[in-house]
Amino acid sequence: MTRPAWFWGVGALRRAVGIGALLALAAFILGPLATLLVWAFAGTWLFPNLLPEFSLRWWVYVLTNADVSKAIRMSALSAPTATLLSALVCIPAAYAFARLEFPGKRVLLLSFLSANAFPKIGLYVSIATLFYRLNLMDTFTGVVLIQLVNTLLFMIWIPTGTFRGINTNLEEAARDAGAGPLRTFFQITLPIALPGLIVAALFAFIAAFDEAQGSLIVGTPNHITMPVLMYALVLGYPQPVGAVFSVLLSLPSVILLLITQRYLRAGYLAAGYSL
Amino acid sequence: MSGGWKRGALGLALVLPPLLVLAFLVILPAITAVVATLTPAPDATSTSRFVNYAEVLGTRILRTDIAFTVVVTLIAVAVVFCLSYPLALYLRFTKTRVAALLGVLFMVPLFVPVVIASFAMITFLVGHGLVSTVLYRLGIVQFPSLVYNATGIVLTQVWVNIPFAVLILGAGLQAIDDSLIEGARDVGAGSLRTFFSVILPLNATSTMITLTLQFIGVFGSFTIPYLVGGNAPQMLGVTMTNYLTQYLRRTESVTMAVIAFIIASVVGVIYVASVSRRERRA
Amino acid sequence: MRRTAWGRAVTVAVGVTLVAFLIGATGPTAGAQNPTTLNVYINGDTNIFDLWNKTLLPAFTKHYPQYRANFVPLLHGEGSQGVFDKILAAKQAGRPTDVDLWETQPSFVAQGAPQGLWVKLTNSLIPNLSRVPAQKLEAEDYYGMPYRGSSVVIAYNSAFVKNPPTTLDDLLAWIKANPGKFTYCDPNTGGSGQAFIVAVVYKFAQMAQYTGSAYDPKAESAWDPAWQLLKSLNSSMYNNGFHPNGNVAVLQLLSQQNVYIAPVWSDMGTDYLKRGLLPKTVRLEQITPPLFGGDSTVTAPLGSAHLEGTFTLLNWLLTPEAQQMVINAVSGYPGVDWKYMPDSVRRQFADVAKPYAPLPNAKYLADILRLWHEQVAGGG
Repeated sequence: MTRPAWFWGVGALRRAVGIGALLALAAFILGPLATLLVWAFAGTWLFPNLLPEFSLRWWVYVLTNADVSKAIRMSALSAPTATLLSALVCIPAAYAFARLEFPGKRVLLLSFLSANAFPKIGLYVSIATLFYRLNLMDTFTGVVLIQLVNTLLFMIWIPTGTFRGINTNLEEAARDAGAGPLRTFFQITLPIALPGLIVAALFAFIAAFDEAQGSLIVGTPNHITMPVLMYALVLGYPQPVGAVFSVLLSLPSVILLLITQRYLRAGYLAAGYSL
Repeated sequence: MSGGWKRGALGLALVLPPLLVLAFLVILPAITAVVATLTPAPDATSTSRFVNYAEVLGTRILRTDIAFTVVVTLIAVAVVFCLSYPLALYLRFTKTRVAALLGVLFMVPLFVPVVIASFAMITFLVGHGLVSTVLYRLGIVQFPSLVYNATGIVLTQVWVNIPFAVLILGAGLQAIDDSLIEGARDVGAGSLRTFFSVILPLNATSTMITLTLQFIGVFGSFTIPYLVGGNAPQMLGVTMTNYLTQYLRRTESVTMAVIAFIIASVVGVIYVASVSRRERRA
Repeated sequence: MRRTAWGRAVTVAVGVTLVAFLIGATGPTAGAQNPTTLNVYINGDTNIFDLWNKTLLPAFTKHYPQYRANFVPLLHGEGSQGVFDKILAAKQAGRPTDVDLWETQPSFVAQGAPQGLWVKLTNSLIPNLSRVPAQKLEAEDYYGMPYRGSSVVIAYNSAFVKNPPTTLDDLLAWIKANPGKFTYCDPNTGGSGQAFIVAVVYKFAQMAQYTGSAYDPKAESAWDPAWQLLKSLNSSMYNNGFHPNGNVAVLQLLSQQNVYIAPVWSDMGTDYLKRGLLPKTVRLEQITPPLFGGDSTVTAPLGSAHLEGTFTLLNWLLTPEAQQMVINAVSGYPGVDWKYMPDSVRRQFADVAKPYAPLPNAKYLADILRLWHEQVAGGG
């Protein structure tokens, strides 16, 4: 398991580059988050003090707001559902794009770009009318469908790339040994593709979670998601309040990060995600 | 060959479910919207079917907004790419504690909702914010504004997009067998040469995916330019929203949506063409 | 070994998701149960949200226990287009809409009227309507019921501004003489910014021409000198002419003493002073000619399934009890005629409750916003 470590040159240079990069990246990525964290505990913060006077009074103000927990619950329920549904619907399609030939394949693959490329702002009334006819307004299913649209691109393109990268010899060997197509898929192909599929699911989840414009129309008034609420909270309240909300609303995301970060190391992704 | 027929039909059948979702929720409404833009208004200056497009493209500030959106998007994508590739390479080829830490660090923005990320960047970059306070303490009082302009948009988009880029590029790099790198070294190639001759071409697919998806994402974005951008020029996402909700000009808004879609599609077509070319060669 | 670890993780994730779906799908759905739920959509800023959510609606449901209220906030009008589209789509699909009451900008009421989206309000539907001055109801063609009012006033920090300007021309001169100490919000994002640019427009063009129901795009060429003036002022603004996003952003600049003078809504300014969010040295005044103001109105969509409840709520809003809440909670002007309010209230508002300029009609206002962006922000 040798690594061509020479790629980055002499050891000392590599270490210096590493530490320099770490510091710079840490400052850029963590800086804004740290500022927000400090603001959440700030009473008043006047320039040019590096630190504010600390106070917890904004937490009291925020925690007495019941809408926050309702929205967190709605997002925590709808986004995973949309992701799972997306996986069920798209992964077979991705396999088809990767392994099978059929007319119009290129055009169809490209058409999924349109889900993200055409600005949804031009589509409101049509989507709303359709949902009314189907009794989907202000329903959990309606919100999930709207979020589903955002996930299609990731759930098609990334798994397609994943499946393409799996050596067909493995599948053919299984077939030769007598396994049927479904068995081959579940026991040979899927386990190898899993890391790539998990990455796709992750991005799909984030896309579903962040969806705001469509959820506003379809989800109000009883199914309000976090992004819909967040606009109001971040823009309309004094800075410390926005900061407190941000900290609170990031907690689900941080927990998700801690759970999944083990699986997101590039080493795991390698297993089968060759493009 | 009946086997091919059956496989083709199976392929279409498997692809049908997501296609149906796409058709009903995006394509059909989009076609309805486009048809609406091709109908001249009763008080229009000409009866050409494209009069709406002529009007939009003839308005100076809208042309500026379109150009601004394209330029900002290109810059943001370029910066993300230039920062992410070295990072991905570093993570691929280094196995130290520092690298492991970096490996977790770069994932952080992925889990921060975009609204919060924008808000955080503002508090960080704004005049009298953290960056400005630190610089002030170092004696630097005057410096160009980092927020509420194109710079702010680019910085925030970079912050938000780094994880995605590093992940996809990194995954592609993982697929490059070590033996190929070793092979290049054995022939006496240096790091830079190896990068350009071996790594870059082999990793081309994930490069194209990254560039395409990020261009489309940044181009059509709303939240970041709305919170972090300036009053004018604005990114198209904000302009379209304003035309629809504030200026009560639905037709112009949808016309701009179609123009934005066309630009985004061009990028998508480039991607598909390059992938096809590669596959035909393979 | 790696595969089974992945496999387990995926199984767990799928299991959790299925459970989540079952919980979400069987959660509470919108629909009438006993008691009837009224969905109240309010567009505005957070002080108005608190007024409805913490004061008005709890008091209403206590008075009328057969109703429950579901409050939906829409900040700065974000999502208002979505709500309008919802109501329109419901009508087109022949279904009832779940919007039972909507507080929104006059432009949406004006857009919806010819499409038959709103209930025409009359004294027989809402007895207390007789207390509202007729011209307030005429302003929105009896489709909008005013329940509170406010106007935009000038807030100045008396610690730094010893002689506050009292006329528009004085204010314009002060801005030029004190660069970087004044700002107004992006007019797309807040009425306080709109009021300032409209005041400059009214300086050059006859106000009466734009406040009725007539609309003639050619009349807008009279606005050109206004755009020139505003453009020339931009360099004297705080932060080099970047106009912040929203009424609240400007109030925050005032409170952090980044600016010394700014246009603010009377109710927001009074409210912030009361809560200690603005320094005590900040004062509010109305200048001559006055900045605009108006009544915030609520509208009842015709397609609502709970109109009886909506009318009950509307009627209750005009009672002395409810109107007093408006005064106390947000320092707003009442929707009913001042003569129905107690003496103490009339005295309290003597400083700012001066007549205010009327808003331009919705179509002109939309064009003002667009042209401001083109000519002033966009450099002309």
